[in-house]
Amino acid sequence: MTRFLALPFVLGVGLLAVSATGAAKLKVVTTIPDLADMTRQIGGDQVDVTSLATGVEDIHAVPMKPSFAVRLNRADAVVLLGLEAEHAFLPALLEAARNPKILRDAPGYIDCSVYVTPLEVPTRIDRALGDQHPMGNPHYNADPVMAKEAARAIADGLSRLRPEHEADFKKNLAAFEEKLDAAIARWEREAAPLRGKKFVSYHPDLIYFAERFGMEPVGTIEIRAGVDPTPGHIADLEERMRREKVDLVVRELHYPAGLAETVARATGAKLVELPVMVGGVPEAKDYISFIDYDLQTMLKAVKGS
Amino acid sequence: MERVHRRWGAAAMAALLAMGSRRVRAEDVPLEELRRELHDLQGQLEKLQGQIKKQQQVIDKLSAEQPKAPPPPATPSGSTAADEERLKRQVTEQVLRRMQPALAAANKTFPSQFNPAIGLILDNVFSYSEKDRGDFEFRAAELGVSASVDPFARGYAIITGSPDGFDVEEAAIVTTSLPYNLTLKGGRFFADFGRLSKFHDHDLPFVNRPTALDRFIGGESQADGVELSYLVPLPQYLTLTAGAYNKLGAANDRVSNTTPRDFSQFTYLGRGATFFNLNDANSIDLGTSYAYTPEVKLDGGASRHLAGVDLTYRYVPLSQASYRGLIWGSELLYNQEDRPVGGFPGATSALSLARTLGVPADAPAVTDPPPLVFKRRNAASAYSYLEARLTRRFYPGFLFDWAQDIDHVGGDTKAYSPYLTVWASEFQRFRLQYTRLDAPEGNDNQFFLQWTVILGSHVHGFRDR
Repeated sequence: MTRFLALPFVLGVGLLAVSATGAAKLKVVTTIPDLADMTRQIGGDQVDVTSLATGVEDIHAVPMKPSFAVRLNRADAVVLLGLEAEHAFLPALLEAARNPKILRDAPGYIDCSVYVTPLEVPTRIDRALGDQHPMGNPHYNADPVMAKEAARAIADGLSRLRPEHEADFKKNLAAFEEKLDAAIARWEREAAPLRGKKFVSYHPDLIYFAERFGMEPVGTIEIRAGVDPTPGHIADLEERMRREKVDLVVRELHYPAGLAETVARATGAKLVELPVMVGGVPEAKDYISFIDYDLQTMLKAVKGS
Repeated sequence: MERVHRRWGAAAMAALLAMGSRRVRAEDVPLEELRRELHDLQGQLEKLQGQIKKQQQVIDKLSAEQPKAPPPPATPSGSTAADEERLKRQVTEQVLRRMQPALAAANKTFPSQFNPAIGLILDNVFSYSEKDRGDFEFRAAELGVSASVDPFARGYAIITGSPDGFDVEEAAIVTTSLPYNLTLKGGRFFADFGRLSKFHDHDLPFVNRPTALDRFIGGESQADGVELSYLVPLPQYLTLTAGAYNKLGAANDRVSNTTPRDFSQFTYLGRGATFFNLNDANSIDLGTSYAYTPEVKLDGGASRHLAGVDLTYRYVPLSQASYRGLIWGSELLYNQEDRPVGGFPGATSALSLARTLGVPADAPAVTDPPPLVFKRRNAASAYSYLEARLTRRFYPGFLFDWAQDIDHVGGDTKAYSPYLTVWASEFQRFRLQYTRLDAPEGNDNQFFLQWTVILGSHVHGFRDR
């Protein structure tokens, strides 16, 4: 009889022990792979990380799949770029996920933009100016210095959720920053030929990259952010490119090739195709290799132009 | 150091001599005594000098222990212009970084920040049909407001102004933090039946709501009531919804929306919806819905069953999602209820007939109600559409629409509608549609040009995907 009574108790304790070990990892869902890489490096063995986007998508057009809601439903934290970069899919998915732990302002909502100084903060909010981001351009992940700020926000967020591991997260953050600092120093040396180089991109998602490495964005193929061009705009853009001697056209890989090729051909500019996230091309396996890829591709184009 | 010694010694000697000279003059002591005093003074002087020396040694020792002064800054000539530039940038970034939280906080201190997000949608259609000729139709101005209520709920309302007047299309409270994956919705809202019945008219992929939905549901699935939805905690996406409403369907005249009733006269709904991610680019949404009204006054007190299956296939290549894709959406509906043989008399609208049958308490008396014989009727309807995304701007599509007559009086209605949607931007859309209508009351060729814009706040809802 005693054995009978003891059995459920032993099983219960065993299950608790198993679940305790199983629950040791924080389930973290990031919106883009860049943040997934940083979260893995900072969270170490305390986190189990997945990303909604694979890296080839347009951050403003990530498909709103119900399977994402399932992932978010089970998450302890969601890590996002913020500045409304994910406005097209994340708010609706968070509502569908029914997980109060990761709603905006909950401890599990880790907005990586809190320490970022945004560029292109609009002085006037008006849809005549395109699909504006009222808090500023959200594509800061292309700037490795801003990435350090994002990493800091991730460390803060993980520490909020697991204060007992705060020291580990800080140590991992320091190691990540050190690695990134070394890469930044190298990139800044290598980027010397890019200084002052003018370029046109499809969408203003390389502003931070340009700012970091001294390049000069002259315009976009889109007439306004998020709005496809008219023939008149393309004619004006080409004229301006000729006048200002712009010899680079950047096509972010998630935008159609045809128009960028046409503009490049018409102006004699070199066409550069760049990913804007980790995973955008097979070579961009993690954050450092992503910036490496973009920088080296841009350098090749500049040297060849 | 030596100079300091000498100063201290001279000062002490002068002081002693002065003291001694005053004493001699005052007391006039003998010479031997003066010599002795002088000797004593010399001893004291030596003692003082020894103390001074010791103090100086202490001072020297303490001075040696103090940290050395920092080295002078490097001369500008030692640093490169690049270093200076980097330093400037780092300092600027540090300053901006410190300022940023304060700036962000300052932006959030306006009292108006608590106002709901407001958006307005304007929907206009020009139509021409062989039967009805041309018409500029101001279809609707739809005002949407939404905001959080508190940490536990959010609220939203859609108020529509149209040629028929103002109407509250939706005004609902939705919980945000119920446990166990539950969400409760209450008020007036579009009930979770099928797929496109939850879309507002302007959000439909084509100009007009398919007859398949219009006839069986009664326009949008508007309902006054409550709805509980549950996300089943499985790796597979599965939601279950249960609802209870006064009635289902904005234009459903079978039941009055304003009269109290027995529980048997409410409409009860159940729905299950799932999603299959075939691969990164291909997916299928599948749902099944069932609405049950135990007792419909208009149908002679019989029950009504309305069931539906909806299937949506999507091809969305991840790297080209904004300008390539395909969607195939279909719904099949089945309705069973008692209907009068030969249909309702043409002179009497369904609503007025409902009143004669006693649905509203204050319904006017009718002296000679038509004698009606009811019979159980089954009817089905379906629509299917295919829409391609060729560029960011051009979305051509084709809609097939089929509906049986619920009363079994006339034949089936069929419509074939090719259409082209042109997006000037995310907030402005033109749509051109041709519809070939084959209906029992006569065939028709219809042309539509729709112009829809969005002003102000606009959200991408999960319901409208």
